[in-house]
Amino acid sequence: MNRRGALFSLGAMAAAAATPVRALEMKGYPTDMSMDPAFLPRPAIHGGSFQVLTADIDRRTVTAVFDRLIPADDLGASASEAGCVEFLDMQLAGPFGEGASLYRKGPKLPNEDELAQTPQFIETPRERYATGLAALEAFAQKTEGASFADLPEPRQDAILKGMEDGTVDLGPDVNTKAFFELMLINVREGYFSDPIYGGNKDMVGWKMIGFPGARYDYRLYADRTGEDLGLEPVSLIPRD
Amino acid sequence: MANWKAIGGSVAVVAAVAAAGAGWWAYDTLETSRSDVADDRVTLADFKADPEAVARGEYVMRTGDCAACHTKGMGDFAGGYEIATPFGVLVSSNITPDATGIGAMTERDFFNALRQGIGQHGLLYPAMPYTAYKNLTDGDMHDLWAYMSTVPPVRNDIDETAGMRFPFNIRLAMAGWDMLFFENTGFDGDPVADRGRYIVDGGGHCSACHSPRNLLSAEVSSKYLQGGSLGTSYAPEITSNEYLGVGGQSVESIAQYLRTGTDGVAVAAGPMAEAVEHSLQYLSDEDLTAMATYLKSVPGSDAVAPPPLAADSLKQGALEYEISCSACHGPRGEGMGLLAPAFAGNAAMLAPDITNLSHALMVGGRASSTHENPTGAGMPSFAWKYTDAQMAEILDYVRNSWGNAAPPVKVEDIAKMRADSGARDKLSIPQ
Repeated sequence: MNRRGALFSLGAMAAAAATPVRALEMKGYPTDMSMDPAFLPRPAIHGGSFQVLTADIDRRTVTAVFDRLIPADDLGASASEAGCVEFLDMQLAGPFGEGASLYRKGPKLPNEDELAQTPQFIETPRERYATGLAALEAFAQKTEGASFADLPEPRQDAILKGMEDGTVDLGPDVNTKAFFELMLINVREGYFSDPIYGGNKDMVGWKMIGFPGARYDYRLYADRTGEDLGLEPVSLIPRD
Repeated sequence: MANWKAIGGSVAVVAAVAAAGAGWWAYDTLETSRSDVADDRVTLADFKADPEAVARGEYVMRTGDCAACHTKGMGDFAGGYEIATPFGVLVSSNITPDATGIGAMTERDFFNALRQGIGQHGLLYPAMPYTAYKNLTDGDMHDLWAYMSTVPPVRNDIDETAGMRFPFNIRLAMAGWDMLFFENTGFDGDPVADRGRYIVDGGGHCSACHSPRNLLSAEVSSKYLQGGSLGTSYAPEITSNEYLGVGGQSVESIAQYLRTGTDGVAVAAGPMAEAVEHSLQYLSDEDLTAMATYLKSVPGSDAVAPPPLAADSLKQGALEYEISCSACHGPRGEGMGLLAPAFAGNAAMLAPDITNLSHALMVGGRASSTHENPTGAGMPSFAWKYTDAQMAEILDYVRNSWGNAAPPVKVEDIAKMRADSGARDKLSIPQ
């Protein structure tokens, strides 16, 4: 800035100081306060049929596996009673099932899993379930001569334990250990996610662990330490 | 059906009154001697104004909030604002000094239009508050005229009555209305000593919204400032009544509300936010104090607080409030200072007409944004989350807690708001 410019700006400042400065009136700002549909939660479609787990045998296998991972007992309902199979079907039908947030392009190197320190997949979760459930059923038929769902619970537990510790191999098309972990994660998600997504029916999962649900904050309770607050769990969208 | 009958009946009344009144209405409503003080030769387009008068006139324009109706995205004061009346859609006129506006008016024409509703194309509709502007003094009128001459002319030809139904598209029908409801007199007090009442009843035209109107859209003077319905909003009682009005508030807090859009308890939204943004925030502290003092002296309705609803019936509403409302409105209804309204001690929440509350829940809202309080808060819509019955539970809780007391809200009123506002239904969830 040269000297003349500096003088001009001084003059402008003096002029500005002499007249009261006021912000411009706000005009034309958006006044629509409805929720953008893109940000609304997408509740499970209720009363509809299954979208991905359409084969009866697949649903029976998933139900059997889930109910061994979270069985009905004194603490609460079983996974399938809590709606976890419906939850999984809904998730597999949507962006999760399509692997929408996963990088799935090649190349996949032979040592990719070690490099990433966790198993990597080109397949989508939907495809992994299709392959994995078929392989598990085939394994049961081959070793036990019966469907996995029809096996006695101790046998089911033994196969699942084997999948978890690597002693059961479902074949070259399946990363058996990773498939077990996928089912374990998904059944937990179904059991503890908001009921609007199909699982955690009647907030059974939240009641089991004492989670109070989708509340805004706890200012009312912050100073009440050392006591059971008995808070009723709350769903993101309350029932009618 | 009831509405049809009422409107049909009012058509007959207006037509009959117009016919009967045609013989002698000129003696009363067309008696324009009050305007004789104004010049009848120089048009607005040609008028050369005195700068001091222009400055004073800008203030008069702010008190009158002309922009509220005459500025709508077509240029300042260029008209185009659509006003839904029970008789059709009326479009506000272009009041810039253009040939398509009021550029050809003389000052006397201007006086006749503003204070008597006698416009250049015929009689004005009482959506234009000449029933209030009639109180403006000759001096304020002259200053306003001077100011309007400095407004940049905007070319915008408007057919104000194209959307009005027969016979209401005939301006002469307003002669009957004027004969029934318009008293052709000036302010009946001292504009200086009674400054508060002068602004409230004159430029401020507060009663245009805050007084109820009869079937022919005339203000009911016996219920002056005791609350009026505006369709999608409700202008609450602003009298000395301590339960529903402003009687329980201090003059300072009323003046602060008018100047900034909030007194830390109530927050202006909807049409009141516009009034604060475009008009009231520009008024002097003296004038706002005078208005507040006057409002606190106005006799109110006889409404008194009923016994609050039993706490047992409010449990579900309390839980919903805690989850969805307490973040901003406070666990104890204390609000968030200048940002989100408090519900405790907020008389406007208790009005028998719950339009504002159901509208806020269904559509959401925007608080006013003023020079002193620029962050106008937003209220999101909760239509996606709650049924009509659940909203009623929330409102019953809010209206009957923290010292509040009000009769239960009707679920059908909320259902009607959902339908009328076009708000979405609650998301369907697995049951």
